[in-house]
Amino acid sequence: MNPFLVWLDQFSNFVSMPAAWGIFLTGAVIYVIDAWRVRFLALLVQYLFIGVLFARIFDTRLEMVIMKVLIGWLISGALLISARIRQQSTQQSGKLLRWATNLPFRALMLTTATVVAWLASQRFALPYVSAELGLACFLLGILAVLFFGTEENDPGVVGVGVLNLLAALEIFYTAQDPGLLIAGLLVVINLLVGLAVSYLTVAEVPA
Amino acid sequence: MTFSGPLFVIGTLLATAALLQLLRRWTHLMAWLALGAAAGVSTLIALTPLGQSVSLGPVTVNMGAPLSVWGRLLVIEPVDRLPIMFIGYTAAMLFLVAWRLLPHSNFFPSGLAAVAMLMGAMMVQQVVFAALLIEIAALLTLFPLQEPLVDARGNIYGGKAKGGLQYLVYATLALPGLMITQLLLEQYAIFPGDVGLLESATILLGLSLAILLGAVPFQSWLSSVAMDGSPPVVTFLFTVNVGTVWFLLLAYLQNYRWLSDQAAFGSLFTSLGLLMMVLGGALAASQRRLGRMVGYATLVDNGAMFVALGARQTAGLALTLVILMARPLALGLMTLGLDGLRRLGGGEDQIDDLTGAAWVAPWRTLAFMIGGIAMAGFPLSLGFAARWGLYRLIAETNLFQATIALLGSAGVMMGLVSSARMLLAPVPAQRRFVSVPEDPVVLVLILLLVGGILFLGVFPQLASQVALQTAQGFTFFTQ
Repeated sequence: MNPFLVWLDQFSNFVSMPAAWGIFLTGAVIYVIDAWRVRFLALLVQYLFIGVLFARIFDTRLEMVIMKVLIGWLISGALLISARIRQQSTQQSGKLLRWATNLPFRALMLTTATVVAWLASQRFALPYVSAELGLACFLLGILAVLFFGTEENDPGVVGVGVLNLLAALEIFYTAQDPGLLIAGLLVVINLLVGLAVSYLTVAEVPA
Repeated sequence: MTFSGPLFVIGTLLATAALLQLLRRWTHLMAWLALGAAAGVSTLIALTPLGQSVSLGPVTVNMGAPLSVWGRLLVIEPVDRLPIMFIGYTAAMLFLVAWRLLPHSNFFPSGLAAVAMLMGAMMVQQVVFAALLIEIAALLTLFPLQEPLVDARGNIYGGKAKGGLQYLVYATLALPGLMITQLLLEQYAIFPGDVGLLESATILLGLSLAILLGAVPFQSWLSSVAMDGSPPVVTFLFTVNVGTVWFLLLAYLQNYRWLSDQAAFGSLFTSLGLLMMVLGGALAASQRRLGRMVGYATLVDNGAMFVALGARQTAGLALTLVILMARPLALGLMTLGLDGLRRLGGGEDQIDDLTGAAWVAPWRTLAFMIGGIAMAGFPLSLGFAARWGLYRLIAETNLFQATIALLGSAGVMMGLVSSARMLLAPVPAQRRFVSVPEDPVVLVLILLLVGGILFLGVFPQLASQVALQTAQGFTFFTQ
């Protein structure tokens, strides 16, 4: 095996549990901070962590990991641009850090969701994936539900929820069936979700 | 050069869709090319025996030959012909409708690409690929669904994202269940004694298909999409996309005996269907927005299909297919009417804002009403023949259930009657509608669809014979 791939495998093995919690922390930032520049940065970091977890699955095919991260960053950029267009049309303040509305409620939801995800990962271990990958799947799924449930008027955040759900599914499914065809179709779906969400974000902007 | 049937069908549609993206400036050309491609491949599949090759100039197509993509097979089987023809011809009809309603729209290329994906979903063997292709088709449909439109005053309206977002979320929520079903089936092939795997697969598959079909309690996307979406695209979604999911459900019932053998299958479908009919009927009866009424009428229609399937008889299956075949005509007409009324109301379809609209847009009102009556399953329409057959079928075993089903349909009718009262009321003095002369082509389309609905209402046997023959091909009720 290529020494670099060996090193990468060892590295991803070591950092995969922190990466799972990193995914959750970046998701939490997107959930509680209502500023797209910060959300964009959080999403970039989240895709980096997702890439680390993907390195556990595609341990001999580094190109798949790089592609996943690059596509995630591409989608993040598209979401940022469309969110800025929307923000300019509604003349919201462009403050770098603005807490989302109902912050105490969101904090409570986030705490509850974390506990639920952690307990679920302990109680219902996902078959054929390691504990940290299972935890990441649960955390991504819970984040998706939070985004769907509380941000239905912001297409960008709902889109991040859809992408999180797809990431959870990709981690779980490709761990068991790492076929190129399914991975490729999921990439196409991710790109289309990014495009569709960006489009929906700007579709409401008056011409 | 020889092509396999799947490669030719999907390749032709995708290549045409790509070409249409370059021709967005020319709506006429785009609409007719899209119509020609969708109807052309459907006709080819209808007329070509699957075992034979057909020559199309320099190209030879072997319709029954499989296409292998990295070891995964796509093949057109005899049972796939009706679904593929349904998808193709319905899409072609909607491209014709959209020709005059959606100038320069993305509907034509995106819709055609979605048709390719949905036909691919019917041809592919594994559940996981069908699920992924349906998700791609759903995503492609989102672009034209939320396109801004122009009202009678020339103002831009529409483009509300909520309906599209809800559909995106629900379509994605259905994906994990379908993909994990595939994993469970693969494990069952290795451990054939583990019945728990099949039970989990049944639950996941049922849940995912219920989400995609807008079954209760996942029905909210139907009304949101109908309220916010562009009417022709909403019809496309409710007929082509949802119709494909119905055909996939039938295909899975046929292919997976463990699924159709579930003891609770009949009563579950009947109960779910009746619940959908009652809920949809109650919501439609109290509805003040015309767009939502389209969504609730579809919910009742889907409920009727579940009830028919729950009868566990070939006649019930045939009725399911007739209801599905009747939907494009009824919904197409209803959305032609809805489109005109919305334009008149400046993008609003609140019935209070459209009081007296029938005197300004009589043809659009007529289209909405006749389409709605057909969706409700009242005479004279193909929907009526199907619903009447359904009531008779379930009344043989349970008169109460038949009455409940009838009440659900009556709810849609009540909503239509209350809408008609407002639309036909005198125009309020303070309201001034902008009267735009009706496009003659739209008028012809309305008349053609009305004629089609009435003709099939008088001669329902034309559709029911095809449905019965197809239903006899599905053997899961008789085995």
